[in-house]
Amino acid sequence: MPPIRDKFTIHSKAVVCQDVELKGDITIGAGTIVHPKATIFAIAGPIVIGSGCIIEEGAIIVNRRKEVMRIGDDNLFEIGCRVECPTIGNCNTVCTRARVHHTVRMSSYCVIGAGVLVVPTEDEMLDEYTVIYGPAGERRRWSGRGKVQEMDLRRKHGDYLRDMLPKFNRLRRGDGT
Amino acid sequence: MPEDRCARNCFLCPNCRNTLTVVPSDPPDDGDMRTSQIVSAALGEPPFFLYCNHCRWDSAEVDITFEKPTGLAAQLQRFEDSAPESLEFERLKEHFEPFLRASSSSALPSATPAHHVHTNPITAAASSALARDIPGVGKYNPLARSRIGRDKHAHRNELPDYKARVEIASAAALSGEADVEFMRHLESIGEVASLDQRWTNSWVASLRASDLKPLRIPLQSKKSKRCPSCRHILIKPEQKAQSVRFKIKLVAANYLPAISVTLPHAQAALEMMKRSSTLGKSTSTAAADEQQAAGALIAGHSYPFHLAFTNPLYDPIQVRLAKAVPQGEFVDAEKARRSTFHIQLPSAAFPVAAYQEAWEYEDDEEDMFGLDDDGMEVDARGKKAKDGRGKSRSVGIVERRANVTVVSGEVLIPKEARGDVKFNMLVSYTYRSDDPEPGDDTEVATPSRSQAASRAPEMKNFSFYTVVDLGTIAYREEPRLSVEP
Repeated sequence: MPPIRDKFTIHSKAVVCQDVELKGDITIGAGTIVHPKATIFAIAGPIVIGSGCIIEEGAIIVNRRKEVMRIGDDNLFEIGCRVECPTIGNCNTVCTRARVHHTVRMSSYCVIGAGVLVVPTEDEMLDEYTVIYGPAGERRRWSGRGKVQEMDLRRKHGDYLRDMLPKFNRLRRGDGT
Repeated sequence: MPEDRCARNCFLCPNCRNTLTVVPSDPPDDGDMRTSQIVSAALGEPPFFLYCNHCRWDSAEVDITFEKPTGLAAQLQRFEDSAPESLEFERLKEHFEPFLRASSSSALPSATPAHHVHTNPITAAASSALARDIPGVGKYNPLARSRIGRDKHAHRNELPDYKARVEIASAAALSGEADVEFMRHLESIGEVASLDQRWTNSWVASLRASDLKPLRIPLQSKKSKRCPSCRHILIKPEQKAQSVRFKIKLVAANYLPAISVTLPHAQAALEMMKRSSTLGKSTSTAAADEQQAAGALIAGHSYPFHLAFTNPLYDPIQVRLAKAVPQGEFVDAEKARRSTFHIQLPSAAFPVAAYQEAWEYEDDEEDMFGLDDDGMEVDARGKKAKDGRGKSRSVGIVERRANVTVVSGEVLIPKEARGDVKFNMLVSYTYRSDDPEPGDDTEVATPSRSQAASRAPEMKNFSFYTVVDLGTIAYREEPRLSVEP
């Protein structure tokens, strides 16, 4: 296995804490916040994270495929979740301790509920506004009502973190490569 | 209006049974959401609707919206009153009302037993139904007023037949056809409401999942608990519905040592797994399985286990453990003999230090271990104590730290054993309550008695049984084990 070459491109407006485990070719967009103790492993292929994303503690984002893993804007990865999707769109929420397999591609406005295991055996693309909830992973379609308020809340969440996290955590800056 | 449900604002999501919240609707979309840099406090406007945070169901899907976020019950009352079962009930009440008025007016002067004065026409109807004349059985009349019986009989004959609002036969036919049509055009099973989503309704409702309405939250009762012997109140929750605290909370956990069980070899295996997974290796399932098996309990082996005792009392305690024979789980004696786990527990008493406020540990750590009179060697921090009792290393005290003592025992799992490794353990502990009785304040009868109580500290003894569960035996075929005898 070729050695993993670390190459971090972190936007100057992104907030990435020192205690984050980064590996491989990772690009982090403007305004994205990575909490301490998060893990982003671009083992086989690069990971590109968009702007305004919030990656909380214990979240694990792994790319084991050679293709680029693209994560869109304004996504929220809650505590302890594990995500391996090759593509993630915008404004999704992966709730606490959820696990999403690498066969799943997420579009936008999806919600993976807390603790849910999304492990389909074949490749699958989740439609927009899909909500997966419950211990059995039931699915339903969200009407989209309230999404403006939710995005507004996420923006406020991000703004608050951008103010507070640097006060109590050391930040990691990009390599400049 | 159902009586065991919240009458005000609390509703249940019909989809996932979580509590619904009242949220305002989104403001009209300007097209480009990112331009709103003005971070306003509240971005939402009426109409309000109910929203489930878990499955994202909202009541706007069934066209239930509110103008104000409070007083939802009043706003929903209109819908509930037009439900078929309430209309039916109203008709029933109207039908029976003249009869009830007549029967209650005739019943009153006859002075039936005092508790029969019902102001509610429904309960009056119920009690008169109970007193109804049954053919073949002599009528029970404590006051022997046969005159009244005849009166009631006369009234009953006048009651006309009741015609329901909806003819059941025709209704069933109508809805049946519609249901069949609906089923024919089903695209996914999720469109049909499941049975447990529908059966809280007293009336037959639509089968579609999209027609499910929010339910009111069922009320729960808070119970208080008394001691069975002295009737003293042990648990008394707070009156306020939302708070989960207790006014009176006397739980045994405040007096008994807390016991937690760990398997050191399982913890070591977990550490190994974590370390190797962060390095990006162990992606194969076989490797992961192996490491998981390294932490499991396999028949035919023996494992040490650690019991950590935490002392909640302000006095140090001496704990003694004993193994109780497992019973009840195994039916026949032969099976019991085969499946008995051989447990070794430390047989001597071990002390657990008293609970002290955290800051005291920083200042003087030596004071704690001054309680140790056994002459066991401890180092300055009291971490690993050398076992001076001449027992094997595996069974005995492992660690003494603050008010926690960890002892280790050993379990030997015989080859044919299966199932959970559980054993009953008898824990007995004694302590000396050093607090002298304040002689002047308490109502002690004689001064000599109070003096005696303050002089001689009493030894208190407690013991309890507990079940220690070490886990399930992982059934694994040993590849080395061949068929040879």
